[in-house]
Amino acid sequence: MISIQRRSGSSLRWNVVCFSAAILCAFLSSAALLALSGGDAVKGFSALFTGAFGSQNALFGSLAKATPLLLVGLGTVIAFRAKIWNIGQEGQVLAGAMMAYWASLMVGSLPYWVALTVIALAGLLGGGILGLLAGYLKTRFGTNEVISTVMLNYIVIFFLAYLLDGGPWMETGVTVAYHQSPPVNPSLEWPDLFARGAGKLHIGFLFALAASAFCAILIDRTSLGYDIRAFGSNPTALRFRGTNVRRLLLVVMLLSGALAGLAGAGELFGTAHRLRAETLLGIGSSGIVVAMVGGLRPSGVMLAALFFGALKSGAIYMRLQSGTPAGLVSAMEGLVLLFFLCAVVATKFQIVRSNVHA
Amino acid sequence: MENLLSVQNLTKRFGPVTANDGVNLEVRKGEIHCLFGENGAGKSTLSSCLYGYYRADSGVIRFKGEVAELNSPADALRLGIGMVHQHFVLVSNFTVLENIIVGSAGTGLFLTKSDARRKISELCESCGLSIDLDREIWELSVGEQQWVEILKALYFGAELLILDEPTAVLTPQQSDQLFRILDGMRMRGLSIILISHKLREVMQSDRVTILRKGRAIATVETSETTAEAITALMVGHKVSKHVRDRSVEPAGEVLAVDRACAIGEWGEDILKDVSFNIGRHEILGLAGVAGNGQKELFETLMGVRALSSGGFSLEGEAITKPTSREMLDRGIGFVPDDRSLEGLIPEFGAAENLILGWQRAREYCRGPFLDRRKMDALARRKIEEFKVVTASADLPVERLSGGNAQRIILAREFLHSRGLLLANQPTRGLDVAASEFVYEKILEKRAAGFAVLLASEELDDLLRLCDRIAVIFKGRIMGIVRPEETTLLELGMMMAGDAKDVQRTVQ
Ligand SMILES: Nc1ncnc2c1ncn2[C@@H]1O[C@H](COP(=O)(O)OP(=O)(O)O)[C@@H](O)[C@H]1O
Ligand SMILES: [Mg+2]
Repeated sequence: MISIQRRSGSSLRWNVVCFSAAILCAFLSSAALLALSGGDAVKGFSALFTGAFGSQNALFGSLAKATPLLLVGLGTVIAFRAKIWNIGQEGQVLAGAMMAYWASLMVGSLPYWVALTVIALAGLLGGGILGLLAGYLKTRFGTNEVISTVMLNYIVIFFLAYLLDGGPWMETGVTVAYHQSPPVNPSLEWPDLFARGAGKLHIGFLFALAASAFCAILIDRTSLGYDIRAFGSNPTALRFRGTNVRRLLLVVMLLSGALAGLAGAGELFGTAHRLRAETLLGIGSSGIVVAMVGGLRPSGVMLAALFFGALKSGAIYMRLQSGTPAGLVSAMEGLVLLFFLCAVVATKFQIVRSNVHA
Repeated sequence: MENLLSVQNLTKRFGPVTANDGVNLEVRKGEIHCLFGENGAGKSTLSSCLYGYYRADSGVIRFKGEVAELNSPADALRLGIGMVHQHFVLVSNFTVLENIIVGSAGTGLFLTKSDARRKISELCESCGLSIDLDREIWELSVGEQQWVEILKALYFGAELLILDEPTAVLTPQQSDQLFRILDGMRMRGLSIILISHKLREVMQSDRVTILRKGRAIATVETSETTAEAITALMVGHKVSKHVRDRSVEPAGEVLAVDRACAIGEWGEDILKDVSFNIGRHEILGLAGVAGNGQKELFETLMGVRALSSGGFSLEGEAITKPTSREMLDRGIGFVPDDRSLEGLIPEFGAAENLILGWQRAREYCRGPFLDRRKMDALARRKIEEFKVVTASADLPVERLSGGNAQRIILAREFLHSRGLLLANQPTRGLDVAASEFVYEKILEKRAAGFAVLLASEELDDLLRLCDRIAVIFKGRIMGIVRPEETTLLELGMMMAGDAKDVQRTVQ
C-alpha cells in the first residue's frame, strides 16, 4: 500500500532527491529540445560543459556571468521574502547602469578608488531609486507593485533609448550608429581579479559575494530581516505590533532595487565598458529565476547564480561549436525554473508505504 | 443501537508529538457524539484521520462494519463520511445551489441543476433548514454559510458528519439554530461527531468522548453525567473558577477615554461618544454582541485606527495621534480578538513571536542583530511558565492549536506591559481550563496594580471577574454597571440596545 501524503516536517534526504530529479528532468527535456531543433544533443551538451567549466578561463567566465545574476537574485530575495513582488529588476539594472555612467562622466578628476566607489554607489542608488519609486507608488496610492515595476521597466528602457539614440549619450563621430554610448573612460573601468583572453572576472564578483553574506545575515539575524520575514507572513500583525510597515516597504524596495542597480553598474564598468541596452537586458529576468530556483535563500541563490551563469557562459561556446539557436538557452532556463518549482512542491509531500487499516 | 463507526487503537504522531494515542471510539447510528477535550488534546487530529485528511500511523477504522481505507477526503466522502470545516470552502460569487453541486460527479452543471434542486430542497425540509438556494454565498451570514457546508456534505450522501468547533464563529442565536438543524439530522438517522469545548453544547449531545493528551479517557452518556464531571475528566482534576479579590479596591485613573468617536469606511459611526475610565487594580469589563465596536475601540486605543473626535489619556497624559509603536512603548499590553491575524506571525515560531513588537528592543538585540541566545532563553522560560505545548520554540505557530497560540500572545503581552492591559476576547475558542488560566493571569495583573479592559461575550465570566462592566451597542456605551448591582437580564437588554430604563453609569 503506497500513498502520497503531506509531510509535517522536511527531510534533507527527500529534498536532495527532489532537486536531483528536477535537474535530471531539466537536463533530459533540454536535450530533447536540442535534438528537436536539429542539433546533436551529446555534442551540444559537451560543448556547453566545456564552455562553462572546461578550463580556468571558462570557469572565470562563468563566474563573471554569475555575478550580475547573483546580485539581482539577492535583491529579489529581499523583496520576495517580504512577499513584495518587485519584478522591475530589468529596469533597476538599467537604472543602476545609467546612474553609474552618469556619475562616471563627472568623477574623472577624483582618485581612482574614490571614483570607483562613487560609481558603485551611483549604481546602487540608481536601482534603489527606481525600486523606491515603485514602493512610494504603493504606499502612497496603493498601486500594485507588480504593475508599477513592470511599467517602470518600460519607462527606463525608453528613456535609455532616447539617451542613446540621438540623445546626449549617443556615440558620435562613428560611421554607423549602434545605439550605444562611447566607451567609458578606460581609467574608470573596474579592475579585473582575473583576466586571460576571454576569461575575465571583474571586482564586481567580490561585491556580489559580499552582498550574499550581507543578505544572509540581514535576513536571518537582524531586526530588519525579522521585519522582512514577518511582513511576508502577516503584515497586519506586524503593523499592530508597532512597526511602520510603509517605511519597511520603502526600505525593502530600496534595497532590492539597489542590488539590481549594482549589477547593472558592474556589467557596464566590468565587462561591457559602454552603455548599451542589449548587454543589460535579460539580466533582471534571469535574476528573478535565479532567486526562485535558489529557494529565496542567499545560499541557494549563490548556487543557482553559478548554475545559470555557467549555462549562459557555456551557451556562447555551444552556439559557436554546434550552431544551436540562441533562444535555446532561454528555453532551458525556463525548463529549469519549471522543474525546480515542481520540486519545491514535491518536497512538501512524502511517499508512504504502510499497512495500517489492514 | 448498532455502531456506524468504530475506531480501534488509532495512533497518529507528528514527529515527537503523539496527537492521538491508541484512541478507541464508537459512534452509533443516529447520535450526536461529542469529542471534548482541552486544546491540543487531539480532537482535530482524530477527526482529520476520520475523514481521510491524515493517515493514522496505526489503528483500524471500521465504517458500517467494514474496514475503511481512508487515503483522502474523497475516499471518506464516498463511504459516507463528511466534514464541515471551520474555514468554509465555498465560492463566494456562486449561488448556494451551485456551491453544493459543484464537484458532483459526471454530468454538466445544467443537466443536474433541477434534479439537484429537488434533492436539496428535500434535504432542507427534512432537517428543518430554510435557505434560499439562489442566493450567492457573499450575501449569506456566517451561520448560513455553515449550513451550505452541511448541505454539501449531505448532498454527497454523508451519513456521518464531522463538525470541528462549528460554533466558534457563530453568535449564540446562530449556534442555537445550528443545534436545531443537527437535531433534525439525528432524527433522520444521521450520525454527527461534534467537536466542541463549550459545555453548554456538549450537554446537548447524546454521548461524550473525553480526550486528554491524545488519549480517549472515557465515553459517557450525557444524560447520566454533569458538566462538572465532564470537565473534571477533561482536565484530570477539578477546575476552580477564579473570582476577583474584593479586598483590593480600584484607585486612581490609568486610562480615561473621553467622548471618543470613530467613523467607518462608509461614513457610518463606529464609535460614538465613548467615555469611560479605568483605575489601578481595576478590571473594566466590556460586554456586547460581537461587532458592536469593541474591535474598533481596542484598535483606537492601540493606535492603529484614528479617532474622528474625542480622545483619551494615559496616566493623566493626553495622547494625541498615537501610533502602535508609541502605545507599546508606553507599556500597553494588547491581546487582539483575532489572534492569528493581528497577534502572531504564523510562519514564526514561539521564540520569534514572543518578541514581536520588541524586535528592536535592547533586551533582545545587539545593535542591529537579534540576540538568538536571549530569545531562546526567553522562549524556554515562557513555554514552561505558560505551559505551551509545542515541539520546539521554532515550530511555526500556525501549526499550534488555538489555545497554545493564545498562550504565546499572553506570555508576550504580560511580559512587556506595564500598567494597562487591553484584552479583547482573550478566551475565545479556548476550553474551560485554558480560559481559567487566562483569567488567573489577568487577575494577577489586577493584583499587581494594572488597569485591565476586558471584552468578552461570556457574561458569567465578566460578572465574577470585573469591578465594573461597560456595555457597548452600535458603538455607544449604553451604561456602566457594577456586577453586584446588575443581572444577566439587565446586561442582555443593554447589549440589545434597550437601555432606556437602565441607562446609568457608575464611577
Ligand atoms: N500538522 C501538525 N504538525 C505537528 N503537530 C501537530 C499538527 N497538528 C496537530 N499537532 C499537534 O498535535 C496535538 C493535537 O492537536 P489537535 O488535534 O489540533 O488538538 P485539538 O483539536 O484537540 O485542540 C497538539 O499538540 C498539536 O500541536
Ligand atoms: Mg482543534
